[in-house]
Amino acid sequence: MGLLRDWNYIEKAVQIPALSEVIREALIRALFVRDDRVLPRDLIGDLNRVPPVTVKVKDDGEVRKLVRVLNGQESTVSLGLSAEDYHYFRTQLGVGRTREFGAVMRPRILLTYDWIVPEQRGVQLDFNGYAGIEFADDAHRAIAQVGATWKQLYDGAPAKGHAVPFVPTVPLDFAIGDALYGDAPFASYRGEFASHVNALRTISPFGHRARLGFEEVANNGTAYDLLHATVPLAAEFFIPVAVALRLEAKPAAGKTLTYAFDDGPKLAVALDKLSRTTQMPAWAHVTDAVAAKILRPAVAAEAFTVQVSVGGTTSGLAPKEKAIDTAMAGFKSKSAEVSNPFDVPADAFRKTADTVVRSLFVGEVRVPAKAVGDFITKIRALGDQSAAKAGVYASLRATGTVSTFPFFAAPKDRSKVYDLSKGVRAIASRIPGAAFTSRLAHLWEEEPNFMRRMAFLRSLKVTIDTAHVVQPLVSP
Amino acid sequence: MASLDYAYRRLVNTLGPERVARSEFERMVYSHDFASLPKIALLQWKLYPDFVALPQTTEEVAALVKLSDESLLQITPRGGGTGWYGGSVPNRGGVMIDMRKMNHVVAFDPDGRKVTVEAGVTWKDLEDFVESKGFALPVVPVNAIGSTVGGAINSGSSGFGAPRGGSLRDAIAFLKVVLPDGTILKTASEADADGHLANLTPLFFGAEGTLGVITEATLRVVAKPEASKAFAYAFPSLAAAARFVTDIVDSAIVPYHAAVASRDHFIFERALRPDSPDPADIAIVAVQGSKDEVADQERSVDVLAAKESGAKLAPAVTDPLWRDRYDNYSARRLSRGLVTSYNLVPVGRLPEAVETAIEIRDKLKLNGAVQAFLVDSTTAALVPYVLMDDTRPSGGTALGFVKRMGDAAFKMDGHSMGLGLFLVFNLRKMHGRATSFISSVKVVFDPRKKINGGKTLEVWTKYPWPGLRAIPPPGMAVGLEIAAVLRRAKPTRDRFVRAYEHGKEE
Repeated sequence: MGLLRDWNYIEKAVQIPALSEVIREALIRALFVRDDRVLPRDLIGDLNRVPPVTVKVKDDGEVRKLVRVLNGQESTVSLGLSAEDYHYFRTQLGVGRTREFGAVMRPRILLTYDWIVPEQRGVQLDFNGYAGIEFADDAHRAIAQVGATWKQLYDGAPAKGHAVPFVPTVPLDFAIGDALYGDAPFASYRGEFASHVNALRTISPFGHRARLGFEEVANNGTAYDLLHATVPLAAEFFIPVAVALRLEAKPAAGKTLTYAFDDGPKLAVALDKLSRTTQMPAWAHVTDAVAAKILRPAVAAEAFTVQVSVGGTTSGLAPKEKAIDTAMAGFKSKSAEVSNPFDVPADAFRKTADTVVRSLFVGEVRVPAKAVGDFITKIRALGDQSAAKAGVYASLRATGTVSTFPFFAAPKDRSKVYDLSKGVRAIASRIPGAAFTSRLAHLWEEEPNFMRRMAFLRSLKVTIDTAHVVQPLVSP
Repeated sequence: MASLDYAYRRLVNTLGPERVARSEFERMVYSHDFASLPKIALLQWKLYPDFVALPQTTEEVAALVKLSDESLLQITPRGGGTGWYGGSVPNRGGVMIDMRKMNHVVAFDPDGRKVTVEAGVTWKDLEDFVESKGFALPVVPVNAIGSTVGGAINSGSSGFGAPRGGSLRDAIAFLKVVLPDGTILKTASEADADGHLANLTPLFFGAEGTLGVITEATLRVVAKPEASKAFAYAFPSLAAAARFVTDIVDSAIVPYHAAVASRDHFIFERALRPDSPDPADIAIVAVQGSKDEVADQERSVDVLAAKESGAKLAPAVTDPLWRDRYDNYSARRLSRGLVTSYNLVPVGRLPEAVETAIEIRDKLKLNGAVQAFLVDSTTAALVPYVLMDDTRPSGGTALGFVKRMGDAAFKMDGHSMGLGLFLVFNLRKMHGRATSFISSVKVVFDPRKKINGGKTLEVWTKYPWPGLRAIPPPGMAVGLEIAAVLRRAKPTRDRFVRAYEHGKEE
């Protein structure tokens, strides 16, 4: 959410003579924590300003109209506002186009933290009411409006003969759109969220409906794959309103295998070994004792728990289980009776999510499976040093990468978030092959290739959004 | 523009005389790709490059790209030349960069499960290398023998292993690319950050060499399966074989590969190799896993095949079929050329799609066969091919067939694959209002249109004059429609199929 906007702001800020003496990292900190000892008060005031207008979207036609108003193609009269509302809207937005303003999407739930540079003068779009899901009858696909929750999709699919392979590594009640304009960590064992996206229905910066990708089939051989290049940042290029998702057939039989491990090295070896087999579970979810206690308060938490969801033909389940058991050698105990965080009634899921969300999350660290034990140990040590008990939710990928989400029992104030993020970054930088991918990590990164890629993305954004309507870039 | 002689001297100074070619014969070889073109196309395009350069390093490619600032010659990168739509043939001459001398494995990291290769390595060579190290490639493009790593990435290819291994796009960790300004860019983070840390790799997937020259690719490798097995079935009709494939998807079985080929394909094969299987509509399925799993999947697939009256073929027939799986277009040797139409259609509509392909082929009175394979749980690739004789005016009908097949794929909610030089008119059909977003990518990376300009998004001619400089894409569509009826005006005998039927009666 707002990554290009934040990155551009920092890039421009470091060019300001008055700020050039402040080193980049110190500037990012000052901006992030709104440090009035470093930054001018009026700048802090600007950063703290939130969009004055929130529009609750019920129909994508409203978004089209709104975009046309924002880019000056139509007047606010076409929004059908009363004279009083019209006046409010007009003054809030400064319709004279003397100031830059745009539309920004509000995530249903944010796992980590808000943007550094908010959309200060524009319109915030709330898609919570735009939440329909259409399952295909003749294929394993669905079109979900961005406000639809993942749980709604996951629970609705089996009745239509489908299975949703991707799950949120941190089980919060995310909307599907949160993966496009928030930080929802959806993924399956076989791939990241983007690999399950066939197409996006969007509203272009000129108010047109534009489809990116193909709703019914894969997007291969059709020139530049803009869809998959922009999925994590889609809402900075266009306004996504629905996602065409590739699902799978509902297996005839399914099972969640739960393995307990009593130490990190054994866990790491088992995860690495599993990812080196030809097994293709739907997902493989990992929790440490702290996370397990939050998810299953009634069950005694083991040091590490790995849950693997397998599906297939009734006769095929046993050989799969056997193969996975072999790969997971070293486990302390195994059970097929422990509930997983996802296959629970919606109310129970939301209740757990309400507890999970209280922790302070700093973002995703992608770690090679072999190093996951070491990583968790270091995260715990960081938590102890910071007087914030640490835990980890994680999921394994077929590539051998473990996507981890460290969290801390600490108040979510911006200074704490910043300091813990920095600590996590230091840990990730000491583990070969690991990558910290949070928004702050993007802003800290100064590797030349990365900087050039970001510059290309920024140019692409400016070229696509010539109207400067979709989260327009701003400078200090 | 500098003179061609000057440009030649500069190229020779950069690469040495042995790696720069300008003789007519050598240039002719590069004037077409897998599909041969009627000579009439030379009126429209300068298909012969002015020079062919064979770089051996990324730095040499960068030097060649920088040289084009002096010479103002277009750059056309080329891999194995197994494309179909003119993506790797010049339209205004210029410098052809043949990447096939960059054919080395640069690094192999068994711990990180990655292999780094130069773009000119063929997929078959890469597969052999990776297997020798105890690993496998998640996806191997269909034309693995001739197709190079850079070529397949530029075409947005799919192929063997896709139902299990996912898209080839996801198998790419990152690419090393020479950009149009001659600088070198890594398209993603070296650590596995998925789409984060500004991953630009998808923009180069299917870019047809128009954003830069891919010189190296770092690809993910997967564990070699404990067991794998292929089995084939003969069906009463191609539609029944296609229904069998859709049933596999609905049964939540995830095969390594599932494909169908029409009876005509095996008739062509029989004409070339007497030991090929008896012609029939055949489906072939390959599965992987533990030994027990493979046995279980085989049983499940047998049941599904029996539902469509599929007769299982003996291992003596199936094994050579699977062994020769990369040799799909040997029928090319029966004629002067062969044209393939590559389309993606929804899996649920595969039975309809294969019948439509046969209908279109018959309507245009062409010799050809239909092949299709599973890409993922929603998508199947429909890949019919027709034989072509480019020396006859009616040869152009084969290109018209490609157009008609693309139109049919769009009607079935799918799309044709590839735009290149000949199918640019499909771009708007593919992307509708998002076409301008797609075009923005080229504007950002190559505003001066130095690399493979005049393709994918627009169709340049060889003429630099205003008014004649480019062909409106719909004009190309009309041309191919006209080409499509040529053969119908002059019916010809379907000699291979008839010869087979005649022999059988005797």
